[in-house]
Amino acid sequence: MAITPDSGFFQWVMYIAQQYWPLFLRGAEVTLIISLTGTIIGFCIGLIIGVIRTIPIDPNTNPILRFLYKIINIILLAYIEIFRGTPMIVQAMVVFYGVAMVYGIHLSTLFAGFLIVSINTGAYMAEIVRGGILSIDKGQFEAAHSIGMTHSQTMWNIILPQAVRNILPATSNEFVINIKDTSVLNVIGVTELFFMSKSAAGNNFRYFEVFLVTCTIYLIMTFTVTRILRFLEVKLEGPSVYTIHGSQTVPEAEFRITDRGKH
Amino acid sequence: MDKIIEINHLQKNFGRNEVLKDINFSVSKGEVVCIIGASGSGKSTLLRCINLLEYPTAGEILYHGQNILQHKMTTAVYRAKMGMVFQQFNLFNNLNVLQNCMVGQVKVLKRNKTEARKTALEYLELVGMSQYINAKPSQISGGQKQRVAIARALSMEPEALLFDEPTSALDPELVGEVLKVMKALAKSGLTMLVVTHEMAFARDVSHRVVFMDEGVIVEDDTPEVIFNDPRNERTRTFLKRILEN
Repeated sequence: MAITPDSGFFQWVMYIAQQYWPLFLRGAEVTLIISLTGTIIGFCIGLIIGVIRTIPIDPNTNPILRFLYKIINIILLAYIEIFRGTPMIVQAMVVFYGVAMVYGIHLSTLFAGFLIVSINTGAYMAEIVRGGILSIDKGQFEAAHSIGMTHSQTMWNIILPQAVRNILPATSNEFVINIKDTSVLNVIGVTELFFMSKSAAGNNFRYFEVFLVTCTIYLIMTFTVTRILRFLEVKLEGPSVYTIHGSQTVPEAEFRITDRGKH
Repeated sequence: MDKIIEINHLQKNFGRNEVLKDINFSVSKGEVVCIIGASGSGKSTLLRCINLLEYPTAGEILYHGQNILQHKMTTAVYRAKMGMVFQQFNLFNNLNVLQNCMVGQVKVLKRNKTEARKTALEYLELVGMSQYINAKPSQISGGQKQRVAIARALSMEPEALLFDEPTSALDPELVGEVLKVMKALAKSGLTMLVVTHEMAFARDVSHRVVFMDEGVIVEDDTPEVIFNDPRNERTRTFLKRILEN
């Protein structure tokens, strides 16, 4: 296809999409990998911190343990406040160049990307998980304790399965935010979608056309991801149907009860 | 008689609020004891102290003569021996009916799954809920939930079962099915400690009735004496008010 500076807008968009699709694809791939990994690792960080921060400490607890817990809590709180309270673009610069200067280690840009998105997401997820745990009815803890479960057994078997399900929408949200916000990693040279688009645009001096394509790719990614996560949420709700085994009068009968009209 | 629980000088404060003041009483094996009294008299707090869901401020709780407040390590073990049925049922929302009755057996008593399932089914059968093993708590009625909660507690094969106003959150027409199960359990010789507003149940089923008012045990006697010939003026006033409604 012949392209001249005087070609029409749509011709340019078509040309760029055709010419640079491998570049866009590689960029989109890096963006997805970083945001997916970052969200998963961030979720794990958040889960661990959320669980630690909801350990019940009462006056009957051993004073040394209480003191230790207080210190850990302060450290965790500092982590949360620092990473929630500063822009990721700045964190990227500080971590990437800081590690190089202080430790003399040159992180690969991809690894730096994983690291920054993970710890950034972890700070947000820590509070989301904590909120999820606190939102579970106190009766669930009491019932578990009353049959002799320890705090960790209760957490693992009863509370976390419910809390995780409740915070899934917030986690999806974090994932979508990450897909978009990994674009700031271009400042340290991570070859994600924005970085790739910038070089494509620079080659042709066609910023509007290129970034319109980029825009579409971001939208396709976020939209697909939200749909998939919504599907997972519904799956995790469990079956809305249950079977009754026999009845008092007709023991061999089986009924299927459907309810939950709300879903 | 073998005393399962003996409480001496038990006291519980919430901040400056003295909810329990110098409580002394005991429950023997096979006994059905009902605790009655007005709202805020400390009945539920007493029950929750016995299961250590609330930690007593002072006093001692003897379990077969051993003070459990001095052996903190055994709290979970002790709790497994004291079943508890709550006003709000508190079934585990993430588990179905069968799993609700199995999880404690598997995790706390370390029974294997087959054995746990067998025990759970046995008790679900007893409360008439064995047909609903696949249902989630959100899919069954209040009365059914409470019967599952009773089966869950029984599956742990506790020495005593504590009931904290088990029918107070139920629709009137569902109260009967739960009381029926409780009556059957009482007949079977299970040790039961029941906080209740169901006076007919207290009168007909229990061996002893404890009347509480303002954090103290006012009267502790047989249901005949409490309901027909109460010794204390406060008991008389309370019962008169309740039975008139």
